[in-house]
Amino acid sequence: MNMPTLTDSLQFLFAGLTNGAIYALIALGFCVVHNTMGIVNFTQVDLVSLGGMFLYSALFLFGLPMPLALAGAVTAAAVTGMAVERVGIRPSRSDNHLVLIFLTIGLSVILRGIMKLAWGKNRMAVPPLTADEPIRLFGATILPQILWIFLLTAGAVLLLIWIFRRTTLGLCMRAVASNADAAAVVGIDGGRIRMISFAIAGGMGGLAGALVTPITTLSYDVGVLLGLKGFAAAILGGFGSFVGAVAGGVLLGVLESLAAAGLSSAYKDVIAFGLLLLVLFIRPAGLFGSAKR
Amino acid sequence: MNSRMATLAGLMVAIFLTWGSASIAAEEIRLGAFFDLSGPASNIGTPTKLVAEMAVAEINKAGGVAGRPLKLVIGDTEGNPAKAATLAKKFIYQDKVAAIIGPTRTGTGMTVKPIVEKAGIPTFMTVGGDPIIMGGKYGSFEYVFKSPQRSETAVKRLFTYLRDKKLERVALLYAADSFGKDGAEWMEKLAPEFGITFAARESFGPQDTDMTPQLTRLRNDAPQAVICWTIGPAGAIVAKNRHQLGIELPLFQCHGLPDPKYIELAGAASEGDRMPSTKLLVAAQLPDSDPQKKTILNFIHLYDEVYDFDRQFPINTHSGYAWDAVTIVAEAIRKAGTEPKALRQAIENTKDFVGVSGIYNLTPEDHNGLDIDSMVMVEVRDGGFVLAR
Repeated sequence: MNMPTLTDSLQFLFAGLTNGAIYALIALGFCVVHNTMGIVNFTQVDLVSLGGMFLYSALFLFGLPMPLALAGAVTAAAVTGMAVERVGIRPSRSDNHLVLIFLTIGLSVILRGIMKLAWGKNRMAVPPLTADEPIRLFGATILPQILWIFLLTAGAVLLLIWIFRRTTLGLCMRAVASNADAAAVVGIDGGRIRMISFAIAGGMGGLAGALVTPITTLSYDVGVLLGLKGFAAAILGGFGSFVGAVAGGVLLGVLESLAAAGLSSAYKDVIAFGLLLLVLFIRPAGLFGSAKR
Repeated sequence: MNSRMATLAGLMVAIFLTWGSASIAAEEIRLGAFFDLSGPASNIGTPTKLVAEMAVAEINKAGGVAGRPLKLVIGDTEGNPAKAATLAKKFIYQDKVAAIIGPTRTGTGMTVKPIVEKAGIPTFMTVGGDPIIMGGKYGSFEYVFKSPQRSETAVKRLFTYLRDKKLERVALLYAADSFGKDGAEWMEKLAPEFGITFAARESFGPQDTDMTPQLTRLRNDAPQAVICWTIGPAGAIVAKNRHQLGIELPLFQCHGLPDPKYIELAGAASEGDRMPSTKLLVAAQLPDSDPQKKTILNFIHLYDEVYDFDRQFPINTHSGYAWDAVTIVAEAIRKAGTEPKALRQAIENTKDFVGVSGIYNLTPEDHNGLDIDSMVMVEVRDGGFVLAR
């Protein structure tokens, strides 16, 4: 095998960052709900698909300009997230994690069914935020959409960290997560906090969907396929850590790309997930996870 | 107790009576039809079902088969082989169908194959994979037929074109699923016959979203053209990635992609891409001497204007397969009746049948009956498909 040139290596890195940024955005949404309720929210994958669907409808059904359509899609996905909590999760009146997780799996199937009815089963093309002409950097090329993903992902992470560490709302969320009864005693409305966390998760998922579907193409189950990798990225980063989710996503994406480029394109998933397992053997809590659980 | 038993017995007699009289009065010929109406391939299965229903409606409008109307018994395989197997048994032993149309995908088709072989019910599938109608380790195929071209036929069509254009050193990029591997195997097997050599071979996962690493590697081996063998959105992503990398090599896609969807998904990046296709996509450009032209134009008229399917499912290269399957079976029933053995023989003896997807010449050895003349090379130009020069 011939050694890849510097330009080629850079191209492989860009490819890895492209996938990595997508995984990272999805992983972030998983983390938000985990941080307030301690559960894995499987509707996250459908909120990703919904983000793309809402953007598609806002652009082509209502004819909105791109910035407005993007904002609308994120808002609509956030509202959907709230509805999922209010209508789907809260009536169960359960704090058993297993029950709640199974509920989210069921809700995920329902959401997918609704999407199939509302938007059909066909693949759709979503336009990117700005022109689709690739940008040349040192001989390698990168799509402007990827730069948008980097920028908005970074912004979203900073916003999340700020909310969780610096605002009363964030304090309440952490309080509900660590002890819901004690939080209720001091007057925190746990239901409202959980609903807000679902709204944030919905917004993150919607943003992810609106940003990645121009690259992946859009269908009612696009989030499921990406969600698995995003889930793996979240675990790799230490489930719940925002910085970890981003690091895990980017690491998984780059590993995949380098495996495809350097060793074998047929076995790139095997190589990437093998390495992921190895990392978890050495650090079971993930890269940025806290050891105590 | 006694009176209750009597009521029950009376009720059952009444049910049997109405049941029996209903089927005698209608005298309909039942055909089982099952496709992926939900699940990952539902965007292929749903229009296939619509076309099968359209074919049956048209046949019945023209007086049915030998005076008897056809009736489709529809089933949804959900892309699940176990579900397909259950449905096939239901068709055979409960609905007592004369023949079966479908399923949609090769995997489910292979599960159904031994069941219909054992029961001896003629089954016309609309699947892409060749093992359905291959013997040996793939089991017998006495009762199994398929209407889409073999992968082998599509590869031969593509290679003939490449040889004519003197593009003999090619790079191969295929999906690491059964469809992609099947295509890659046929290409490797047939390449020497056409004087074609492979500069590089790369694969990708059918659900991957970025193929730039593979394309970057291919480029370094300096091929004259790139052949991509996959179905679904991955093909459009390859086209976009090639555009992103600024690779000027001509891109050839497989016979699964000629579909307005491909152009929609890949956008301007698809311009100039070429692929083997049925004539359905370029019907208007066919010479009037083409024996299929009338049949195809009639089909398009029915599909677009009479039944109005095109708004939800624009016509693609696959649209005619269910039509061909249903009409060939109906023609065979007309000649031989519904006795399974005679029907199978009649299907097998179908000669010069002008279908939408090609002219079918079936034999006991060839349960597809289409050769490379049934396909044309098409090219994306100005956002539409035209005959490739």
